[in-house]
Amino acid sequence: MSTSPRKRPAPDVFVAGLVLLILVALVVAIFLTGFGNTLYPPDAVTAQGREVRGLYNIVFAIAVAIFLLVEGLIVWSVLRYRRRPSDTELPVQTHGNNMVEVIWTVIPTVIVLYMFVISWQTLNHVDAVSAQPDIRIHAIAGQFQWQFEYLDQDGKKVATQLAPAYDVDTGLGGMAVPVGRSVQVTLDSPDVIHAFYVPQFLFKRDVVPGMTNKFEFNVDVTEAGQVFRGQCAELCGTGHRKMLFNVIALSQGDYDTWLRALIEKSNATPAPLPSGTVLNVTAEGIKFDSASLEVPADAPFAIAFTNKDPAGVTHDIDIQDSSGTVLQKQETIDGGTSANYTYTPLPAGTYTFFCSIHANMTGTLTVK
Amino acid sequence: MATHALNPATSTYSRGVLYDWLTTTDHKKIGIMYVINSFLFFLIGGILALVVRTELAAPGLQFLSDEHVYNEMFTMHATMMIFLFVIPMLAGLGNYIVPLQIGAPDMAFPRINALSLWMLPLGGILLISSFFTGGTAAAGWTSYPPLSLDGPLKSPGSGQDLWIVALILIGTSSILGGINFLVTIFKMRAPGMTLFRMPIMVWTVLVTSVLVVMATPVITSALVMLFIDRNYGGHFFDPFGGGSAVLYQNIFWFYSHPAVYVMILPAMGVISEVLPVFSRKPLFGYKAFIFATAGIGALGFSVWAHHMFTTGAVFLPFFSLLTFLIAVPTGVKMFNWVFTLFRGQLTFSTPLIFAIGFLTMFLIGGINGAFSASVPVDFALHDTYWVVAHIHYVLFGGSVFGVFAGLYYWFPKMTGRMLDESLGKIHFVLMFVGFNLTFFPMHMLGLEGMPRRIADYAADAGWNNWNMAATIGGFVIATSILPFLWNVFASLRNGKIAGDDPWEGNTLEWATSSPPPPYNFDHLPEIRSERPVFDARHGVEGH
Repeated sequence: MSTSPRKRPAPDVFVAGLVLLILVALVVAIFLTGFGNTLYPPDAVTAQGREVRGLYNIVFAIAVAIFLLVEGLIVWSVLRYRRRPSDTELPVQTHGNNMVEVIWTVIPTVIVLYMFVISWQTLNHVDAVSAQPDIRIHAIAGQFQWQFEYLDQDGKKVATQLAPAYDVDTGLGGMAVPVGRSVQVTLDSPDVIHAFYVPQFLFKRDVVPGMTNKFEFNVDVTEAGQVFRGQCAELCGTGHRKMLFNVIALSQGDYDTWLRALIEKSNATPAPLPSGTVLNVTAEGIKFDSASLEVPADAPFAIAFTNKDPAGVTHDIDIQDSSGTVLQKQETIDGGTSANYTYTPLPAGTYTFFCSIHANMTGTLTVK
Repeated sequence: MATHALNPATSTYSRGVLYDWLTTTDHKKIGIMYVINSFLFFLIGGILALVVRTELAAPGLQFLSDEHVYNEMFTMHATMMIFLFVIPMLAGLGNYIVPLQIGAPDMAFPRINALSLWMLPLGGILLISSFFTGGTAAAGWTSYPPLSLDGPLKSPGSGQDLWIVALILIGTSSILGGINFLVTIFKMRAPGMTLFRMPIMVWTVLVTSVLVVMATPVITSALVMLFIDRNYGGHFFDPFGGGSAVLYQNIFWFYSHPAVYVMILPAMGVISEVLPVFSRKPLFGYKAFIFATAGIGALGFSVWAHHMFTTGAVFLPFFSLLTFLIAVPTGVKMFNWVFTLFRGQLTFSTPLIFAIGFLTMFLIGGINGAFSASVPVDFALHDTYWVVAHIHYVLFGGSVFGVFAGLYYWFPKMTGRMLDESLGKIHFVLMFVGFNLTFFPMHMLGLEGMPRRIADYAADAGWNNWNMAATIGGFVIATSILPFLWNVFASLRNGKIAGDDPWEGNTLEWATSSPPPPYNFDHLPEIRSERPVFDARHGVEGH
């Protein structure tokens, strides 16, 4: 209060200054102790992700600076300008100041324009897709499972990966990609909107029915052998949280081996039906055609399963006991295809057969 | 229009209190009923939020029976908080305060005012009834098709239809209210109350009303089309029948982004009343503040697609630029508020404390908005808990703290009694701590990759601690409401008598009795500035 003849007691300024100092010290401590790392996204594993991370670092630094400036002003004012019993006269009635209004309009404008320009530049790199990528993958997100079709350079399908999540025990499943190569993913949905999201890519893209989105990424060479977590990021119904997948980064050699195995599996002739009990089950409209099945006890049996739902909607038939423990699992099959599932003998009792993708698709399996 | 001051006290009819309130066209009673109705939905919506937080406290589905119920909970939480709490709560405060602040006897259309009030509980009852008719809407408050269309695994059943009808009703109430505010503000101002002498609260309600009147019909069209798609075989939004899923998002956000400003501008108005009064200084940069408000309103119509950056169907640089630019008028406001405090004489009554809470929290909500304006950064953060943190720093740290600043500030005017200061401060501390404990960790969860709207997460995802912290914070927020409720209950009976002007206010509502008589004023002070009551108290030389 420079224009006022009254004097503020000095300790007041001291306290306000001290609190501000503590505030700044706290922020510094947060970043020195590593706690500040929680305010950053995970380390990027793709070339595109690293650009996003670089951009994030700049935006974050500007944000922290502005936060400290304004929060500091607020804290300062709150501590410094408390009303005292001696304050009987009004403080100076400042109505404003055009000069400072111009200053705090122009400077923020310059700052946001700068952030816009660097964002746009980064966007042009992150969002770029090439005409001839090294690898083409067609990802189909259906309620509630991902499948990844591997395409050749002409866009023709060579193999389908129906198990989107990596299984640590068997080493199977997941979307494998070679490191250091450009991978182009096209996205389609047969039902509702989903989103392809891998946190360590610092990237996501919606999977919108009726339109095909695409994006491209290059996994860093140093990441070979790593497995990244992926998940649907757009609410897609009651199985949303289960739409998990993994991206597996492989060296070119390992990738070639992996893809060859997948192609062989895709081309393999379906297992012939065993002799003995064979049931026919069809899935259509997210429903099984029968609510109860019956098989003899202690004998192997098989189900000839047909999935009549549209492509992209996957089903399987797994078996669990009355306590909910899953006893036998089968691989999912895509809509418009069929498979022969064989099951090992079960003791007499009542079980549940169900689709592992759709919680509403269940029925009773009686073994006697 | 109620321009002729008839004194109902001379009426020969004597009606019961209940009948009186149910049939009133007095903007003050209507405003109070708006506030009570909105507060009830705040409590219901808050309980739903606690259900969500309880489920997420630890990995595994342990509290709710299945994921569908979880989807219902967060859908209804957001729907109620947005459409039945924040928007009508601020409309209710405006309803009470705007006629008083411009020296008018009532709103321009008192009966339409009553109609807009009573449509709200009706919409709310329709929404709640879906709990008992086979399940509520569960496709999120955004209800994106195709998920919100009819069909297996989508949204079969009447819950989604009731949601649509309830929102159309509530939207119609908003439109009627908006028109009423516009006519009231343009036609009913007291002599001397020029546009540039209106309190900032009135200005923010004015800009808000323009947004409501222009944007709400647009979302109504989307809701009607969705209803036709669901019930009469339409294909507006069905991509497999020639429709477009992204079209709905464009129409929806064309309303729902301006709706964010509908939810924050009047709260900014509230604290622009509170800060000057409790620092004994005028608002710094009155006109700059008005232009910034109008600027936010105008820009608000050109940024809707920043909610859709990841759809692959948006011209990204345009919406990125416009979204960044909104930070400029918002920053102007922030500096004006802070410089109102600067070199003032601050009295830390509960309204001021909540207003300062607004400043500190809304600052974070504004700054982390800039992250989402940067398209590549948004690719990483969109639809994660980061966004949940952002919206709550704006709508809770901003709007809700602003609402409580307003309730503590105007409670003496509405009831004639003061609220207890100690309970008010306990309320603030609990809410401030609980709020930050709940929502700050959500930034970290989002950065680590936790998507929104998932009922469960893997135990090894590394999200356990932050989720537990957020859940504890949620219960602290819930606890903070108890001293407030007790405060209102006790103060209504035994609170200190307020008198006309307990805070040494600036604006006309403090120039009449507490509570004001029907038709508000026996006489008005001269209006020569935006602070007529200040002028009357201190004379021109005080200015």
